[in-house]
Amino acid sequence: MAAPVKLSLTQVTKTFDGGGQKVEALRPVDLEVREGEYVVLFGPSGCGKSTLLNMIAGFEAPTSGTISLEGRGVTRPGSDRLMMFQEHALFPWLSVIDNVQYGLLWQPGLRFRRGRRRQKALQLLALVHLEDFADSPIHELSGGMKQRAALARALAPDPKVLLIDEPFPALDALVRAKLYDELQDILVRTRKTIVSVTHDPREAACLGDRVVVFTDRPGRIKTEIQVDLPRPRDINDPRVAAHATRIAAELKEETA
Amino acid sequence: MRHNSEPKYGRYVFGFYLLLFAVWQLLFSLRLIPDYLFPSPLQVTRRLWELGKDGLLWPSIQATLVRMAIGFAIAAGIGLFIGVFMGMSRVVNRCLQSLFLGLQTLPTAGWVPISLLLFGLSDRGIYFVIIMSSVAAVAIATSDGILHIQPIYLRAARTLGTPAYAMPFSVILPAAAPSIVTGIKLGWTLGWHGAVSAELIKSSIGLGYLLYMGRELNDAAQVLGIMVLTILFGLLLDRFLFGLIEQRIRRRWGLVSPT
Repeated sequence: MAAPVKLSLTQVTKTFDGGGQKVEALRPVDLEVREGEYVVLFGPSGCGKSTLLNMIAGFEAPTSGTISLEGRGVTRPGSDRLMMFQEHALFPWLSVIDNVQYGLLWQPGLRFRRGRRRQKALQLLALVHLEDFADSPIHELSGGMKQRAALARALAPDPKVLLIDEPFPALDALVRAKLYDELQDILVRTRKTIVSVTHDPREAACLGDRVVVFTDRPGRIKTEIQVDLPRPRDINDPRVAAHATRIAAELKEETA
Repeated sequence: MRHNSEPKYGRYVFGFYLLLFAVWQLLFSLRLIPDYLFPSPLQVTRRLWELGKDGLLWPSIQATLVRMAIGFAIAAGIGLFIGVFMGMSRVVNRCLQSLFLGLQTLPTAGWVPISLLLFGLSDRGIYFVIIMSSVAAVAIATSDGILHIQPIYLRAARTLGTPAYAMPFSVILPAAAPSIVTGIKLGWTLGWHGAVSAELIKSSIGLGYLLYMGRELNDAAQVLGIMVLTILFGLLLDRFLFGLIEQRIRRRWGLVSPT
């Protein structure tokens, strides 16, 4: 893959200060994410993969090392590295479309252009098949619809890298499978660069171009597994399952 | 009752009040207490009608409402402002919370003597009592609302690129809105108490003044009538002004099932 590097992490570590006691969460991590690539951070809970995602998003600072996006150092949260959370985190005081266009408010040149914002939000709602719910309050949406609305909201400011923390954990299997399809569909169409975190090997194999396997705490990168399967992938495809088995084996070896 | 999600209860509520007035009339008819001390609903209504005809009633209601509108608008503004600071800084919160909780234990009428000393008999004193009675409730509810905002909303706002200057109006106040509206309702009620208490002593117009006049003239019908009116207006504004706003917010947030 010759695409240019979007996101690069150099010798990134994290040590927490837990009551005077230093707790090492992350050993030095080096990682490069190329444009249009989907990288999954995979590992047991507590391995520091979510901490790493938080640091890329700018919510936490690394103890040492540097994180840079297109060559510029990351210092604080911003919509160029937009994060989607486990909970949909949609604002209940705004309608669906106002949630989607919320991030556009802070985009240069869009602050006072209501029409442009609304138009873009409607396009995104169409992309996630929610155009009929534009003016609905959030609580009227089902769980899957909320996640789709959250995805539309995250795509609106056109982030350079989309960060996804456990994409769809709180949904039943059917809704999840559908969301995988939709996420891949959007991925193919927009060629978004994505970094997501999961502890589900199936999900990792289904979504990732590259799966980065972390060791148990203190986390460090154990290995990387390339998943060269055509998209869209079906989560029940035996080839996906085969990769999932390989990924899970790496983890099992680790926790054994 | 439009605000009630189950309109069928409206009939019972209406019946209840009818019964209440019937009991009142019955007690009166038994003549246990002389009628100049315990007038009948009819006498009270007639007295209110006379007050209205003499041109005393409406200007008084209006005066009290205008004082409340102005005084409470100022109080709500101050309360929100202080509440936001209390909600954003733990230090400010720690310092002011005990003070405000303490002030809230003071009965609203307790502000009247100091207001007399400070402002004499002028109207400014009434505004002072209204503001002092209601600011604490608004400030505490605002800060509580802000302190209990789910962190995920703040994180989402930041990752969506919200600049720091825009956080209060774009995220913090809207996220705390349900709690703030509750505080504003409570503040309004306390301010209403304060307004009427202050008017009892230092005014020449207003509902409180009519109460005071009734007592001076030994006119129990007027006293009871104005009490009923004061309750009625307090209730109406609580239910239909703030109640509807609260209901709207709660509905939007999905905190009540829509009808």
